[in-house]
Order: sequence, then structure tokens, then C-alpha cells
Amino acid sequence: MSRDGWRKKASEDDGWGGRGGYMAAKICKLEEQFQKDAPREKQKDGMSSCIFSGVAIYVNGYTVPSADELRRLMMLHGGQFHLYYTRSKTTHIIATNLPNNKIQELKGEKVVRPEWITDSIKAGCQLSYIQYQLYTKQKGLSFASVCAQGGQDPSFSHGPSKPSTSHPQSHSLKPSHTQTLSKEVLKSTHANHTANVTDRTNHQLDIKLNGITSEEDAERPRVNGIHDGDDDDNACVLLPRGSQDTSLTNGYVHPVNGALKPQDLVSFAEHRPHVVDTGSLQSHLPQAGCWDREEPSCSSAGSKANSHQTSLMSTTSPAKKPDTHNMQKELHPEPTSNPGTSAAPQKGNQTRVPLNGSYHMTPNSFILANSSNQSGSSTAQGAEAGIISEFFSHSRLHHISTWRNEFSEYVNSLQSRRRVAGGAVFSGKEKLKKLKANCSSGSLMAAPQVRQSCILHVDMDCFFVSVGIRHRPDLTGKPVAVTSNRGPGRVAQRPGANPQLEFQYYQRKQKQYRNEKTDNDLEMTPSPQCDEGPSNGVDLDLAALSMAEIASCSYEARQAGVRNGMFFGRAKQLCPDLQPVPYDFQAYKEVALTLYETLASYTHNIEALSCDEALVDATALLVELGVTPDDLARAIREDIKEKTGCSASVGMSSNILLARMATRKAKPNGQYFLRSEDVDDFIRDQPVSSLPGVGRSMNSKLTSLGVSTCGDLQQLSMSRLQKEFGPRTGQTLFRFCRGLDDRPVCSEKERKSVSAEMNYNIRFTQVEEAESFLTNLSMEVQKRLEGAGLRGRRVTLKVMVRKAGAPIEPAKYGGHGICDNFARSVLLAQPTDNGHLIAAEAIKLFRAMKLHVKDMRGVGLQVQQLEGPHADPSGQGASRGRSIKDLLQARQPALSPRKEPLAQDGLTSPSSSRAFSSNQERVTAPSSPPSTSSDPMPGTSKGEFHHPRTPNHVRACLNISIEVPSPSQVDLSVLEALPVDIRKQVEQSWRHREEQPSTSSHLSTPPRTSSPPPAPSLGTLVLQLPNQPGQPCTTGIILELPDFSQVDPDVFAALPRELQEELCSAYRNKGNAQAQGTTVEQKQTFPQLKQPAVGKLKRRYKKRNASPAKKGPSPLKKLFPGNSPAKSSPSKSIPLPLKQQGLKTENVQCPSSPSIDVPETLSKLNPRPVPALAGAYEFSDIRTLLREWVTTISEPMEEDILQVVKYCTELVDDKDLEKLDLVIKYMKRLMQQSSESVWSMAFDFILDNVQVVVQQTYGSTLKIT
Amino acid sequence: MATLTRQDLNFGQVVADILCEFLEVAIHLILYVREVYPSGIFQKRKKYNVPVQMSCHPELNQYIQDTLHCIKPLIEKNEAEKVVVVIMDKEHHPVERFVFEISQPPLLSISSETLLSHVEQLLRAVILKISVCDAVLDTNPPGCTFTVLVHTRETATRNMEKVQVIKDFPWIVADEQEVHMEEAKLIPLKTMTSDILKNSSGGILD
Repeated sequence: MSRDGWRKKASEDDGWGGRGGYMAAKICKLEEQFQKDAPREKQKDGMSSCIFSGVAIYVNGYTVPSADELRRLMMLHGGQFHLYYTRSKTTHIIATNLPNNKIQELKGEKVVRPEWITDSIKAGCQLSYIQYQLYTKQKGLSFASVCAQGGQDPSFSHGPSKPSTSHPQSHSLKPSHTQTLSKEVLKSTHANHTANVTDRTNHQLDIKLNGITSEEDAERPRVNGIHDGDDDDNACVLLPRGSQDTSLTNGYVHPVNGALKPQDLVSFAEHRPHVVDTGSLQSHLPQAGCWDREEPSCSSAGSKANSHQTSLMSTTSPAKKPDTHNMQKELHPEPTSNPGTSAAPQKGNQTRVPLNGSYHMTPNSFILANSSNQSGSSTAQGAEAGIISEFFSHSRLHHISTWRNEFSEYVNSLQSRRRVAGGAVFSGKEKLKKLKANCSSGSLMAAPQVRQSCILHVDMDCFFVSVGIRHRPDLTGKPVAVTSNRGPGRVAQRPGANPQLEFQYYQRKQKQYRNEKTDNDLEMTPSPQCDEGPSNGVDLDLAALSMAEIASCSYEARQAGVRNGMFFGRAKQLCPDLQPVPYDFQAYKEVALTLYETLASYTHNIEALSCDEALVDATALLVELGVTPDDLARAIREDIKEKTGCSASVGMSSNILLARMATRKAKPNGQYFLRSEDVDDFIRDQPVSSLPGVGRSMNSKLTSLGVSTCGDLQQLSMSRLQKEFGPRTGQTLFRFCRGLDDRPVCSEKERKSVSAEMNYNIRFTQVEEAESFLTNLSMEVQKRLEGAGLRGRRVTLKVMVRKAGAPIEPAKYGGHGICDNFARSVLLAQPTDNGHLIAAEAIKLFRAMKLHVKDMRGVGLQVQQLEGPHADPSGQGASRGRSIKDLLQARQPALSPRKEPLAQDGLTSPSSSRAFSSNQERVTAPSSPPSTSSDPMPGTSKGEFHHPRTPNHVRACLNISIEVPSPSQVDLSVLEALPVDIRKQVEQSWRHREEQPSTSSHLSTPPRTSSPPPAPSLGTLVLQLPNQPGQPCTTGIILELPDFSQVDPDVFAALPRELQEELCSAYRNKGNAQAQGTTVEQKQTFPQLKQPAVGKLKRRYKKRNASPAKKGPSPLKKLFPGNSPAKSSPSKSIPLPLKQQGLKTENVQCPSSPSIDVPETLSKLNPRPVPALAGAYEFSDIRTLLREWVTTISEPMEEDILQVVKYCTELVDDKDLEKLDLVIKYMKRLMQQSSESVWSMAFDFILDNVQVVVQQTYGSTLKIT
Repeated sequence: MATLTRQDLNFGQVVADILCEFLEVAIHLILYVREVYPSGIFQKRKKYNVPVQMSCHPELNQYIQDTLHCIKPLIEKNEAEKVVVVIMDKEHHPVERFVFEISQPPLLSISSETLLSHVEQLLRAVILKISVCDAVLDTNPPGCTFTVLVHTRETATRNMEKVQVIKDFPWIVADEQEVHMEEAKLIPLKTMTSDILKNSSGGILD
């Protein structure tokens, strides 16, 4: 060997270069020696093979077969043995113990225990080293693993021989045989090393295992797509040691086997006990992988069998392939039956038989069987229209909740009917009375009269079930559950779902709720994760089962541990005989109605708690009848049983709380009268969870306080309870646990909100879908609001959004899974029951939330702050037209029916004043009957116009727009002709008016100085609603009374008395109101001067506040719009010339008035005037003004629009874009909400103009969203 | 109460100080809110009694400070009309502009003691508006940069060329590309008016 050779060697030893040439030479020499010795050794031993060809081992430290022995073995079996580790050449490191730093150093190398070699020699082939690995990279994982090897030699693979199950060494399972595996190793190397080897073998084994003959070959590839590539997985069986490992196992196995699903593994974890319990199997399970090692004498055939065995293990594991399981199930219709049935075709292989049997007990075999069921029951996705009503028609919760309301209504109507009829016939009561009379001599009479109050709590026994089976006597006495699932309780795994994750989430959450488990809350908390679970495995196993909830189950089923609200799949496991019964909402309703009818035949003091549950206040009834509560209860129960065929339980006691508790004791099909003297004893043993209001969280809190029964709770002081739970709840608890409850049985309950919510099957793909869904939901809400006869002001949008990281597809089909809840609400200007309005708001809210529609899982719309149709007519923000009408109706209910004909009368009366009445529709809502209001123009109020106009004035009164002309305008002769009292009032109103200008021109002192009005002005009255003082701008109604002189006495006399009175009082109040009105205007620092030319009510309102800057042009402007045909409604054919004339003269009359004001106010303004709209510059005032404008007028006038545009332009000039933005947005809301399309057009016009200005000023347009 | 007028030497400086301080806060906040820089470099601070985000990246801070230092003389002389924070995408096309329009009243005086707190209230309102402006703005593309533009009067520009306030921190006339935005939409954020200055800020985006 030359030195060059050494050098070369040395350079090859990358990373070990420090050793130098000497070492290289030495290694070379050793290698040579080894090669030389090998044939010699082979000769000596007599048996040799080439098992380890290509394998070069390096022994590190102490090993059980010593390093020398290993060297010898390697010689014999064609391997290499390195005395020095060479990274490039050494393939395996053999060690039993390595220090930590060595492990670090050797990371990535194959460090194998020596058993690998011995076992491989025993097996006659090179085994996969995977399960012999010394360490895993993740130390925390400690999976016991039993790995199987496929035979390398094809000739062996079919060998039917098997090791004896009573192998003497089989019990000596060494801990070292259960190895820890690393994920990486499994993923990367295992497949490479064993795929080829195990392929055929496993295939064969599967066939054997399943007892399937040749057709299986065809079937397998179908159901098991991974056959070729992943078959090596069969060689690996994971046996999680305990529930603790289960969750880890999930992530661990997944990469290895594509077909392996988490829940399968999980379910395996659960079913492991079964496997272990199957007698002889027990010993085989853990040992399967170690036979080779334990059995040195085993022939190659034996090792073959061993590999069979282990493969068998692998397929047996439910952790394997669900598909295979499924196949199994098809082959064995009775999966849970005696394992022996499947053993038959597998003679001579005892070990497989029990394995097979235990295998069948695993639950996963039902998957395909149920998939048809699933597809059959799948409903349309939430995005589709019409789904909402369909959803609600199928939603049990919806029905239950609506019924409750319906029955409350029913009871209400019963009571009101009784009130109307002055008494009702109580057939049941009569019957009972008769009964009592019959046995009057009997014991009934002897019963002591219960004078104290007595509440009956009537509750149907498992209502849904008993209704569901009332025509199916064959099911009586059997465990029955009402559920939507009709299959065997299993569903296929859907892609994207990760039920395990969800369960873990809920479990974590649950743990937060309760520190220790209390069984008592099982009934209270029907959520599935609260069902008791002996191990995690059980709960997690639910994932593979049907997630259909059990709405109700019979008592037989409850005995088996089934609970209401449990998932059907789980229940089916607990109680295999469980019979599913479908929902029958119609029947429920019928029965419930019968129930209520029955109860109502005794008394009307009923409170509907739900469709199957009611409280009856029988105090008076018992006294009247003189029977005991028990008799009454018996009679009621018999009645119910007879009429409905369903049994009911009745609890009786002195209050609601105790009655409900007594019902618990009475159930099933019984009755229990909790006497007041027994209360203390009774309640002491009641669990706290049976108290109303004690839910899961409170229960856990109480548990942490060491309280589980009411008796425990009684030990706590009131102050302690109040400290823990807050003053109210604490007090309630304190009373409840002593059986004290003073809630009355109230048959009428007010609704707080109306809502529709859908959290099932919400899967949107596009925003439009979500929005159209919202629209549909709004229509549903509208339906409900209309049904309840309510309108609401607050709209709340609730959205459930998939929690980040939660699986796309929840465990429950169509369910919402783990979600974050969001809610936004908006307060409407006026109460509504209009679905379109609600939809518009909801969509706005929805957009503001900026959600990812695909993640939406639930949508709910709720309407709160409900009002009855006529409630609170003066409510803030109620639309003007409506509120006025309501106001009148509320104040004069008797008048309201007559109001309209009267108004029509006025219409028909021929009157030239029509010409001036063009602004009428601004005052009244568009819907109100067309009536003309008085024209405010002084020119028109001249004497000659008085009489023809009066009818209109009367109507104007109805519309609360009455004007009083100034004294100078009134024909004195007319005034004198008036009745004395009227004249007085007119004069009085003038006096008030005289004060007005003075107060309005910033005189803080009371109006002592009565300066003559600078211009002929009209009396304008801001009428304060009695309950809304101080807010005339927002809620006050502008009431313009005509001067009293303008009221035609004949017409006045012809008015109904109520109206007359009201008119009079209106005139009387005018003074006060005027004063108030002026204070408001004072705030706005504008003189209270009327523009004589004001042609319209609306305009007058504006004008009154108008800034002087605007006054200049506006009177001129106003002339012509006043004539525009758009303004006057078509019904009024006006002689235009006349009108114009009137206007013009008037304009001429008072040219001075603006000029008077201007200097005065200008001086008060800043040098640079603040942009103002009709005098208002505060945003709130602007808003009020705009709202008034939009809500009171059906068609905007060009000239008004221009005013707004001008204002907006001024805002731009003033660089007050913020306010501009707000104004524009507000207008947008107002105008686009308005029913008239004219308003939308008006807004567009305004916006276009403003945008042009903004574009000019800023180079870009406003973004209006 | 002493009444200061613009003629008093320090009046303009007071205004400029207040405004530059505000602009600094606003720029930091904009950079944070619009995610021009990773949120990691920002620290929560309190200014105007509200939490604001301030970068702690020394070079960025220096840049902002230098910029404002140059702007300050302009504001003092009432020569700056607008200060614009432009957020540009990778191709240096502006995607958003935050425009601070500054207009100082010609004849004004500082008189009251409560002035500062009043101004602070107004500035706070603007800051709060900025901090929530992402609600009305679209998300910016990744890799954005920003620049600060000042709209000045012509004379001011010339002066700036003559006198560099900070050495090696010259101002250049902005490219048309940086100023011009096609089909821009304006979103007014807040307008504040006080005795000493009027400031309206708005965001402009495509």
C-alpha cells in the first residue's frame, strides 16, 4: 500500500480528517483482515448467507451480542464490520446505549440496536431497522410500536404456518421491544426500506385475514387506493399506550399513511380495551413484532409466519384503513357478533381469529354504509334562496321557540277572550267538580283545603318521543330517540373536516368551565362533549359517528345512558337498540295545542313555558273546587293522556321554582306534590344545577366553592353569594336554594326581540350570496315582526365566522364548527318592520364588518327595541307624517275615524286657495290624504281670501300647520264678526306674536319691548310635543296655525266638538310654543323674521332660520319654483296666473325686509362666514334640517336642491371636507332610503355637482361609500 | 393676559412647533396604520393623551425629523399649503396620499390660556381619525414606500433651494408621477379649526 493510497483514503474521510493517513491505513488494513477472515468464519460456522450484503456496521459501546460476536455474524452474513466509524462507509451504528452528545453527533445516522442483526439472521432476511432504532429524535414521544416485516423471499410469503400461540417465550415481553419511533424516520426511511419487501406479503395477509377469497384482489385496489405505494404502512402498527398519546398519534401517523385518518386512530385508541379483552389475543398483540427475536430456533418458515402475524396486526388495527374496515363490514353483516364466525375460513390460524373478531368490534366499519344516508339527507347550501324557510321549517329549535310564543299568544288570547265574554266555560273544571260531587262523601272531602298558593308545573314526558311513537305502539317500552339521523349512526368523513380538533377545542373549553367533573350537569348541558367520557378516546370517537343530535329520548334510552342533546352516533354506541324516530313537527304542534286546550279547560292562569311545558296557577281553582292539588293533577294528567295519548308529569308546590323541582321528582309519568313542610328536606338534596339560572359556568363556579347541592348553597351567606355572583344573581341564588321564589305565573310576556338566525349550512362563496341571504333573512324577520305585530328600531347582525385555524369543514355536517361570534347593531331612525329596510341596514353592517364570506358559518338578524304598532307615537325619530297621524290618533282616539272623511270634504270644497296650497304634501306624509294647508303669504291672507280658504285651514289644523296672519293683514270686519271668545284668542295670539321678534333678535331679557314687526309676518308656531320638551328641532312639530280670523266660523262650528276643542287649545298654547320656538332660533343666532314671500311651509321653516347671506337671492329664487308644476300635485288644478300674481304683489310689498336684517346679522358673523344651510351650520342642525326636508316632502324642489349644492360648495371652499363628507353621507342615507325615486335622483344630482367642485379644488373626487 | 400676534417673533414658531410635532406623530401613525413598515419597529407611545405608534427605527426617525425640520420654516412663514404623505407601491406609483391642508388665518392672535389644551383636543381627534382610517381604506399592496411632499408657494421653493436647512437634505420638485393619481378618490378624515391654524386631513387613494 503506497503512501498515496493513504493520502487518498485520508481525503475521503471527510470530517474525520484529523485522523491523518495512519488511521486511513489502519482502517484499510482492518477491512482487509475482515475480508480475509470472513470465508474462514463461514466455513467454521457452517451456515452463512448474504443477508447483510451492503451493510457496514460500526459497534459503539457495549452491546448484548458483543462486538466480536457481531463482527463474526457480519462476516457470516455478508456484511461489513468497521472498527472505526466512517461516515461515508458505515451504514449502521450498533449500540444499546449512547450518551447524549453522541446522539447529537450521530444525528441522521442509523443507530440500531444489536437485536436488529440477530433478528435479521433469525428471520433469514434483512429486517427493517426502523423498529430497532435506538432513539427517536423526539424524545417525548413514546409510542409503543409493533412493526411487522414482510418476508423478503417470495417463496416464503404465502406460508400458512404460524407460531404456536402458546409459545413459551411469548410472555417475556421486554420493554425494549416496544420502541419509540420518530416521525421523520417513519416518514422518510421506513417507506424506502420496506415498501418493496412487504408489498406482496401484506397483500396476501390481508386476504387471509379477512377471510376473503380471490375476489378480494379485485376489491382491494378499489377500496384501498394506497395499495401499491403505501402498503408498507401495514407493517407498522401503532398502539398508543394511553389516551394521553392519542392526540399526538394523530399528527404522527398522518404523514405516513395518506389514507389513515385521525379519528380512525382515535377510535382505535378507544377500542384497544376491546382488543385486549379478547382472551387469547391479549398476549399476541404486543408480541407480534418480537417473535423473531424471541425464537432463535425458528425456521425461516416460522419467521415468515411471524411476518404474517404482524401484518395481520397491522390490518387489524383500526388505525389502518377505514376502507378496509368498510370492506370488512360488508363481508360481515354482524360485525359485533361472535368473532368465531369470521374465524371459520381461517382454519389453522388461531391467532387471527380473535384478532379478526376484535377487529370487527371497531366502529369504523360503517362508513360507507352511511354515506348514502348522508348524501340523501344533504340539503341545499345556505346560499340558495328559499333555504331559509326550509331551514326554519326543519329546525327543531326554531319550532320550539316559535311555539312557545304561539302558545303564549294562545293563552293571552284565551284570557282576553274571557275578558270579553265575561267568563269562559271550563269543561275540565266542570268535570272535576262533578267528579268531586260524586265522591263528596269520600276521602276527597276530607282533604284539607290548601289555602296557600299552588302552582302546577305540567311537563310532558319526553315530549318528542311520546308524540313520535303515539301511533307506533310497537316502539313503546323500547329505547327511542327523536333525531334527524335515520341510519346506523355513522357518517363518512368529509374532506376538510377535523372533528378531533374540534373536540379538543371544546374539551379545553370545557375544562375551563369546570375544574372537576360533576355528573349532575349532564342534563343541564346537552352539548355532546359534556356527556361523560371514561376516556378521551370515547369522546373523540364521536367524530366518526353521526353528529345528528338527539332531540329527545325515551326513558328506556336514558337508562342506557343516552341523553337529550347527545349525538346520535354516540348514543347508538351506548344503546345499540336505540330506535331513531323522525321529527314530526305537525304532530308536536297538534299535541301541544291539545295540551294547552286541556289546561285551559281548567283555568286560564297558564304560563306557557314551551310547547310541552306549562305552569298553572291553581290557587284559585283549588279553593273554588275544594280539591287537593293531587286530585287536580291526576285529573289533568288523565285528561292529557286521554286526549293526546302522551303522558305528562305534574309537579306541584307553592311556587314556580318548587313546582319545577317537584316535576323532576314526578317524572316519568307521575306527579309529586311538594308540601311546604317538606320543602326544606327536599331542596337540601337537590343539585344546584337544578336551580334555574345555574348553568354550566355557574355550576363550575359553585363547584369550586364546594357547593354541589342546594343544602351546600344554603350554607353560604347572602353577602358571599352576592360577592361571587353579583348582587342580583346572588340574591336570587340565596332565595332559590331555600325554595323561595316569588315570580308570579304570568300569562302575558312581553317580547324583547324578534330575530331569525341560521347557523346551519351557511357556506357562501360570494359576497352577493351572503347579501341575498341577508335579504332573505330580513324577509323572514319581517314575517315574524308582522306576525307579532311589532316594529323595532335596533337591528343587530350576528355573524359566526370560522375561527382561524379551525377546520374548514366542521365535524357536524353543515354545522358551524368552532366559530368566532361577531355582532354589530344599528339604531334606525324609526321603528320598522319592513324587511327591505332591515336588509339594507343588515347589508351595510355586513359590509362594514369586512368578513371573508367563505368563512361565514352562521348569520342572525335580530330586531330589538320593539314597539307596538301604535305605541309611543311621539317617539323620537318616528317619521313625521306617521308621528303626526299617530299623535292625533293617540290624543283623540274617538276622532280618528272621522278625520279622513273630513279631510276629503275639504278637498271637495271649491276653493281658489288651492292655488296657494301647493306645499301641502311637504307637511304631511305622502300617504296622508291630500289636504291643503294654508298659504302663509301675507298677500293671500287678505280679507277677500279668507272665506274661501277656511276649509283648508281646518284641514291645515289636522296637519298641524296653522298660520295666524299678522294683525295688519286681518280684515277688521272679519275679526269683529268672530265670536267673542275666538276674537279674544286671536288677539291673544297677536300679543304673543309681538313678543316674538324681540325675543328672536338676541334680546335675552323678557319681551318687554314690543317693537312693531318690521315686516308683515305670519304667526308660526312650533308646537312642542308634551313629552319632548326642549327639542323642537328634532321632535317638535311645526304647527302653523292660521290666524284665528281666518277660520270660517261656520266650518268651525261644523267641526266635531273634539276638533273644536283641540283647535282652541292649540290657539291657546300658541303663545307658549312660540316662545319655545324662538329660544331654539336664538341658539342659531338668526332673527326670527319671516320672509313674506315664503311660499311653502318647508321653505318657511328654512327661511325663518335662514342666514342673511342666503336671503338675498332666495326670495327671488323661490318665486318660480313655487309655480313649478312639479311642486303642485296634479290633483290641484290651479289657475297659475292668479298664483303668480299673488306672489308678485307680495314680493313687491315687502322688499325692505331682507335689507333690514342683513347688516344686523352680518355684523355678528365672523369675517369669513361659516357655510350654512338655511342658517344652520352645526352639523346636528344641518342633519335635522335635511331629515325634515327629506321626510316631509315627497318631491324635492330644484331650488332647494340648489341650496344644498351651494352649501356643499361652500363647504368645499371652506376646506371643511369632513363635514361635507358627513353631510353627503347623511343625505345619501336619507335620500336613498326614501321611497320616492325622485330623492335618489336628487341625491345624484347633488353629488355630481359637489364632485365637480371637489374635483376642481382637490383634483380628485370624494369617495362615497 | 398677554396677547401675541403674528408680528411677535415667536408666534409663527409656536404654530410651527405644534404643527410639526403633530405631523411627526401623524406620519409615524400613518406608516404604522398603513403598514408601510412592519409593525415590529413601532412602539406604543402616548401623545395627546391617546396611544399612538412611533417607529423606533433610528434612520426612519431621522428621516422624518429631517423632513419636518425642513418644513417647519415654511410653516412659520405660512408658506406651506399642504403636507402630503404619499404612499407608493413598488413601481413608485402613489397608491394613497394623506393630505394635511394647512391654512393659517391671516389675522389671528393667541390670547387664551386654554388654547393649547384646546388645540390638543383637536389634534387628538385628527390622530384618532388617522388611527382608524384603515377602516375606510383598502389594503395596500406589499412593498410600499412613502415620501413626504410639501405644497408651497413659488417663492418658498426658491428659498428652499437657496438655503438648505439641513445639509445634504435637499428637497426636490416632485415628479408628476409622484403627485398624479388617476381616478383618485378623496376620503376626508378630519377638519380641525382653531384660533391659530386650520388643518384638514384627508386620505386620497386610487
